[in-house]
Amino acid sequence: MPQNYVPIFLFVAVVAIAIPATLMIGKLVRPNNPEKAKLMPYECGIDPVDNARGRYTVRFYIVAILFVVFDVETIFLFPWAVQYRALGLFGLVEMLVFLAILIVGYVWIWKKGALEWV
Amino acid sequence: MSTLNAYILTIVTFIPLGGAVLLALFPRRDRDLRVFALVVSLLAFVLSLHLPVHFARHHAGFQFEQDIQWITTPNIHYHLAIDGISMWLVLLTTFLTPLCVLISWKSVHDRVKEFFILMLLLETALIGVFVSLDLFLFYFFWEASLIPMALLIGVYGHERRVYAAVKFFLFTMIASVFMLAAILWLYAHVGSFQFADTQQWLRGHGTEIQGAAPWLFLGFFVAFAVKVPLFPLHTWLPDAHVEAPTAGSVLLAGVLLKMGTYGLLRFNVGLFPDEARHNASWIATLAIIGIIYGALVAMVQPNLKKLVAYSSVSHLGFVVLGIFSMTQAGQVGAVFVMLAHGVSTGALFMLVGIIHERRHTFEIAEFGGLATPMPIYATFFLIITLSSIGLPLLNGFVGEFLVLSGAFLAHPLWGILAATGVIWSACYMLWMYQRVFFGKVNHDVNLALPDLSLRERIALWPLAVAAFAMGVAPLIWINAVDPTVRNVLSIAAQFASQVVAR
Amino acid sequence: MPTSFFTGTDYALSLPMILLSLFGLGVLIIDLMLPAEWKRWNAITALIGLGFSTAAVMRIQLGHFADGRPLVGSFAYLSNVGGQVVGSVLMDGFSIYFFYLFLLGAAIAILMSAHYLEIEHEHHGEFYALILFSVVGMMCMASGYDLVLLFIGLELMAISTYVLVGFLRRDKRSNEAALKYLLLGAFSSGIFAYGLSLLYGLSGSTNLQVIAQALQRHYSANPKDPIAIVAMITTATGLLFKVAAVPFHQWAPDAYEGAPTSVTGYMSVAVKSAAWAMLLRIFLWGLYPLRPVYLPLLVFVSVATMTVGNFAALSQNNLKRLLAYSSISHVGYMLLGLIASDNITNKTGIQGILVYLLVYTFMNLGAFAVVTSLRRRDIIGDEIDDIAGLYSKAPTEAVLMLLFLLSLAGIPPLAGFYGKYFIFLSLIQTQHYVLASLAVLYAVLGLYYYMRIGSAMFMRPATDPEPVAISPGMQVALAVTAIGTVGIGILPEFFIRAAGWSLGIQQAGTSLLGFLR
Repeated sequence: MPQNYVPIFLFVAVVAIAIPATLMIGKLVRPNNPEKAKLMPYECGIDPVDNARGRYTVRFYIVAILFVVFDVETIFLFPWAVQYRALGLFGLVEMLVFLAILIVGYVWIWKKGALEWV
Repeated sequence: MSTLNAYILTIVTFIPLGGAVLLALFPRRDRDLRVFALVVSLLAFVLSLHLPVHFARHHAGFQFEQDIQWITTPNIHYHLAIDGISMWLVLLTTFLTPLCVLISWKSVHDRVKEFFILMLLLETALIGVFVSLDLFLFYFFWEASLIPMALLIGVYGHERRVYAAVKFFLFTMIASVFMLAAILWLYAHVGSFQFADTQQWLRGHGTEIQGAAPWLFLGFFVAFAVKVPLFPLHTWLPDAHVEAPTAGSVLLAGVLLKMGTYGLLRFNVGLFPDEARHNASWIATLAIIGIIYGALVAMVQPNLKKLVAYSSVSHLGFVVLGIFSMTQAGQVGAVFVMLAHGVSTGALFMLVGIIHERRHTFEIAEFGGLATPMPIYATFFLIITLSSIGLPLLNGFVGEFLVLSGAFLAHPLWGILAATGVIWSACYMLWMYQRVFFGKVNHDVNLALPDLSLRERIALWPLAVAAFAMGVAPLIWINAVDPTVRNVLSIAAQFASQVVAR
Repeated sequence: MPTSFFTGTDYALSLPMILLSLFGLGVLIIDLMLPAEWKRWNAITALIGLGFSTAAVMRIQLGHFADGRPLVGSFAYLSNVGGQVVGSVLMDGFSIYFFYLFLLGAAIAILMSAHYLEIEHEHHGEFYALILFSVVGMMCMASGYDLVLLFIGLELMAISTYVLVGFLRRDKRSNEAALKYLLLGAFSSGIFAYGLSLLYGLSGSTNLQVIAQALQRHYSANPKDPIAIVAMITTATGLLFKVAAVPFHQWAPDAYEGAPTSVTGYMSVAVKSAAWAMLLRIFLWGLYPLRPVYLPLLVFVSVATMTVGNFAALSQNNLKRLLAYSSISHVGYMLLGLIASDNITNKTGIQGILVYLLVYTFMNLGAFAVVTSLRRRDIIGDEIDDIAGLYSKAPTEAVLMLLFLLSLAGIPPLAGFYGKYFIFLSLIQTQHYVLASLAVLYAVLGLYYYMRIGSAMFMRPATDPEPVAISPGMQVALAVTAIGTVGIGILPEFFIRAAGWSLGIQQAGTSLLGFLR
C-alpha cells in the first residue's frame, strides 16, 4: 500500500522546497523599502485592533457575500466537468438550468444596485 | 301528511337558522327586522304545532324519525326524532321565542339585526338539542347553543355583562368537555354515535364496563348538572340572569336550563339506569339542598331579577329530584315542572324586564305600591306569581305535586324536605309581591309609570293562558309524556333485574 | 449507471416545484420593471404561479396516480443500494395532501399581505418570490424520501422564512425576530444534520426505507445501542424544534411577535405543516423501528408542550404572542396523535393530525388575517387593547374573528373541533386515558384565553376611533378562511376522507371528486 502514497510524499517535498525557495528569491529581487503600514495584516487601511463598536460600511459585507456566492457556486461546475461524458445531455441541461438561475440572481443584484459602490 | 312527518323536525329546527341567514342579508331597518324575526319565529311555532297534533300519544318510542348518514368515518348520523318528553320541550322553545321577539321590540335598540340573528340561531340550537338522537349531533347542538347565548348576555346585557358572559361560557363549556370525553369513549367502544345503538351496547355489556360506567355517568352528569344548575354548581346562573337582556333571560331560564334536565333524563337515566339508581341518593340530596337553598337565598334578595333567578335554582331542584326519585310519578312530574317552569319563569322574567324598561332598576326597594299606577301589570304578575308558587289549577301545582309524590315513594324524608320548598317559594314570592305592588307608592317616579302596552299584553297573554291550561288540563301534556317515561323506567327496571339476576 | 437520469415520471412529479421556482424567479425579474404603484401585480403573478402549481399537483393526483399506488420519483437514482433502486421522492397521497395544504396556506398568506405591506412601506416583489421558494422547500420536505432531499427542502424553506421574518427592515422587532430565528434555526439544523449523519452511518444509505430496514436489523440485534438512540434523539430534536415543541419552543413567541403579521400567519400554518410532514415522514417511515424508544420521549414532549403553551398563553397581552403560545399548545395536541397511532395498527391519530393541520390552516390564518387588518397607519394593532371594541367598529370582522377563535378552542359546529376530536378518539382507542383527560383539560384552559380576546372584541369599548379598512385581497382571504372554518365544521366528510385517502385508508378515485366516493 505505501507505494500509493508516493505521489503525496512527492507533493509534500515539492511544497517544502518550493515555498522557501520562492520567498528567498523574492527577498533577493524586490526593492527593500520597509514601512509601518506594510506590516499590517490588511493593507487596505483597516486597523486590525480597533474599538469593537467602530463602524464601517456594510458594503464590504455585501460585496464579500456576493463574491462568496458566485465564487462558491462555480465549484458546482467542477464535478460536472469531471463526469461530463457520463452525464451527457442531461448534465448539460441541468447545468444550463443552474446557470440560468444564477444569472437571474445576478441580474437581480445588479438592478438592485448592490454592485454599485456609493 | 306522511311525507311531512319525515321532514317536519328538520324543517322546525332549521327554519330559525334560515331566518337568521335571511336576516343577515336585510338592510338595517330595525322595524322590518323585528317584524321579520317575529314572522320567522311564529312560522316555526305554527309548524311545530304539527308535532302534538300528529303525535301518537300511546306510543312510547321515537316518532317523526329522520335518519341520514352525515359523515361515514367517523360514523355520524343526522338522526332526528322526538318522544313525549322532547316534543314538549321543542314546543316550549318555539312557543317562547316569538314572545321573546315581542318583549325585546323596544328594549333592544342598538345592533337590532345581530340581536335577532343571535336569537334565531339560539332557537335552532335549542331545538336541535332536543331532537337529535345521535350523540355527536347532540353535542354539536349543545355547544352551538352556548355561543349565541354568551353573546346575547355579553353584548346586550347590563353593567357586568362581560363577567357574566365569560363565567357562563366557561362554566358550561368546561363541564361539557367531560361529556365529550364520555361520548368519545362510548364511540370508541360502540362504533356508533346513535343513541339506540349505544343503549343497546351498554345493556349487552354490563359487566365489561363496570369499571368505566361510573366515570361515564359522571362525565355526562357534570355537563348536565352545571347546565341545570344543580346546587354547588349553580353560581353562574344568578350572574348570567341578572346581566342578560330580558329575552336572553327568558330563553335561558325557559329552555336552556331544561337542556340539562333533559340530558339527565335522556342520557344519564336512559343510558346508565343502573348507575342512576346507585347514585340517586346523593344526587337527590343535592337537589333538595338546591330546592331549600335556592328558596332561602331568593327570600333575602333585594334584587328582583336575582330573586327570580334563585327561584329557578329551587324549581330545577324539583326537576332533578323527580328524575332521580326513579319513579313514574316523579319523572312525569319532573317533565311537567320543566314545562311549567319554562312558562311561568319565562313570564316572570318578561314582567321583570318590563318594569326594568320603565325604571331601569331591579331593586325591590325602588318599587312599592305599583298596583296603583299599573293595575294590568299587577294582575299579570299575580297570576304568574301564583303559578310559580304552585297554586292548584295553575301549572306549577301539577308538576310539583307529582314530583313530591314520587319523592315520597322513593324516600319519605326526601318528600318531607322537598315539600318545605313549596312553602318557602310561597314565602318569597308573595313577600316580594307585597313589597313591590302593595302599600303606598313611596317613590314619586313610580306614580307616572305607564301600564302595559298592547304589545306587552300580547306577549303576556299566551303565557297566562298556558299557565291556566296546564293547570286545568294537565293530561293533554302528561298523556304524551307518560308512556315515554314508563319506557325509560322499564328499561331501567329490566336492567336492574339483570344486574340482580347476575 | 442508468442511461436516463430524469424520466418523464420525474418530470411530472417535480413539475409543481419547477413551476413555483420559475414563477418565483419571474416575480423577482418582473419586480425590477414595475413602478412602485404597480407592485400588486407581483402578488397576482405569485397567485397565478400557485394556481399553475396546483394544476400540476392535480395532474399528478388524477393522471399518474389514478390507481392509488404511490409513485417513487427516482431523480438520478441518488441511492442505488445493492441493486435495489430507491428513489428520493415518494409521491403518495400523503405528499399530495400536504402539497395542497402548502399551496392553500401560501395563497391565503399572499392575499393577506398585499395591503399590509403597503402600509408598512415594504411592498417588494421579493416577498412573494420568497413565499414561492419556501413552498418549493416545503414540497421537498413533504415528498422527500431521502435525507438529502429532506434537508435541502428544510433549508430552502427555513432560509426563505428567515428573510420573511425580517422583512420589515426598519422595524427593530422584526430584525430582532429574524436574527433570533436565524441563529436558533441554524443551530437546530446543525443538530438535525448531525442526527441524519448518524443515521447514514448506521444504515449506509440516505433513503428512509433503507434506513428503516437497517435500523430494524440493528435494533433487534442490540436494542440498547447508544448510537441508534443518539441518532434518534438528535434527529428528533431538530424536528421538534421546527414544529416548536417544548423544550425547543423558545424562538417561536419572539419570531412570531416580531415577524410581519401575515408572515406570522404563514409561519404558523404552512411552515408548521411542512415541519409536521417531515416529522411524520421521518418518525413513521424512517425511524419507525425505534418507536418503542421515541414514544416515552414524545409523551414527555407533548405533555410539556401542552402545559407550557397553554399556561404561557394565559398571561399574554400581545395578540401575536398569545396566538404563538396557542400554536405551541396545538402542537402538543397533535403530538398526542403521533403517540396514539403508529399508522399501521391505528391510523386515527395520524388522520387526526392531517385533519388538524388542514383546519388549523383555515382558522389560524383567519385569525391572523383579522390581526393583520388591524394594522393601520400609526397603529401597530397587535395588542389585545387594539382589538377591543372591534365589534362596534367592524362587526363582520369581529364575528369572523370570534368564529376563528372558537374554532381554535375546538367548539363543535366549527372546524377546529374535528382536529381535536380525532386526536382524542385515537387516544381513547389506544387506551391512553390519562393523556386523553389531560388533553381535554388543557382544551378547556385554551378556551379561557381565546375568550379573553373574544370578550375584548365584543364587550369592551374601542380604544381608538380609527376605522378598520379591509382591502379586497383581505376580504377574499377572510372569506376563504371563514368558509373553510364553518364549512368543514358542518360538512367535514370531504376533508376527513381526503385525510384518510392520503394515508391510504380510503381508496383513491380517478376524478376530482374521487375523495367523495
